[in-house]
Amino acid sequence: MSRFFLLEPPPVSHPTVALCSGSIFCTISWDSLISSWISILVTIVVMSLIARRLSTGVPGQIQMWLETIYGYASGQAAHIDREAARFIVPLVMTIFVYILVANWIDFLPLPRPLHPANSDLNQTAAMGVLVFLIVQWYGIRVQGWYGYLRRFTKPFEMSLPVRIAFIPLNIIEELAKPLTLSLRLFGNIFGGLVMIWVLSVLLPQIPYVQPFWSALAVVLLAAWKVFDVGLIGLIQAFIFMLLTLVYFEQAREGMEESHEPGRGASQAAHQGGQA
Amino acid sequence: MNNAIAIAGALIGFGLALGGGAMGAAFGDGLAGNATIQGVARQPEAQARLQTIMFLIIGLVEAMYFINLALGFVFVYVVAGGVH
Repeated sequence: MSRFFLLEPPPVSHPTVALCSGSIFCTISWDSLISSWISILVTIVVMSLIARRLSTGVPGQIQMWLETIYGYASGQAAHIDREAARFIVPLVMTIFVYILVANWIDFLPLPRPLHPANSDLNQTAAMGVLVFLIVQWYGIRVQGWYGYLRRFTKPFEMSLPVRIAFIPLNIIEELAKPLTLSLRLFGNIFGGLVMIWVLSVLLPQIPYVQPFWSALAVVLLAAWKVFDVGLIGLIQAFIFMLLTLVYFEQAREGMEESHEPGRGASQAAHQGGQA
Repeated sequence: MNNAIAIAGALIGFGLALGGGAMGAAFGDGLAGNATIQGVARQPEAQARLQTIMFLIIGLVEAMYFINLALGFVFVYVVAGGVH
């Protein structure tokens, strides 16, 4: 039992440095900081290299993939709000490319204190909170304070007491957005790291596996990295981008009714006339 | 072994969380796969689009399980690793 815990620990804790004494808000996990800066630099360098080699003729494979993603993002953003697409598309594309690079950097054999940046909850929570704040700001800007607060009484067709009763649920739903956004990414990437730790540290502790572990571990680790880093890293980057777009769309809820008060009534009358 | 109960509780709780989470994720994956197979059987030409959506849904469903796994590991190593 005690031997189990004396092994090399899983990548749970991060080495920290405190800039000022005591407060948790100025304690920095320097390994995550370095890892994320590496991802940022790789993102900038790779993307500017790709941007320099853009062609209007037959696109290369990387350009084709990026154009597919970009076309999807800009199509969705234009569907949400044609004006705001000017800042929504750069935001979600930056999120997508950065998360993708930060996840795929795990293909390289990183030495111990370095790790894929998203396996630290602080990193993903920073992105989640930032997206949350931008979406709130967008909601206020596009609907005004009245429309923004009105959205918290959400089932618009219900009667007033029911809508008041729904206010706490709507607030919880809004606050759950950054929480699930950051925990989803963190859980996936961190779960992948834990699995790598299990394969490489915990597996040789089993006596039956030990003799042929080194041969087994190569195959298992290669298969797991292709599946987890390659596929799940891509899917999670795409899901983060997609959910950001969905939140922008949800910030506009209730706009059609509040800006065109006569529409619902005239529609009902029209339908009544048809019947 | 003063904290045997704490360690045992952490490990058993982690096992229960993993088991329950795996069941939920498996149900979700099964539902997504079921709907995809039905869609492909009805409209074979939609296979590529349906597969993309299926992987997306599976990513969303599996995320709950991975959150479980990651937080379970954090808790086990904070509780059980902290007292040893």
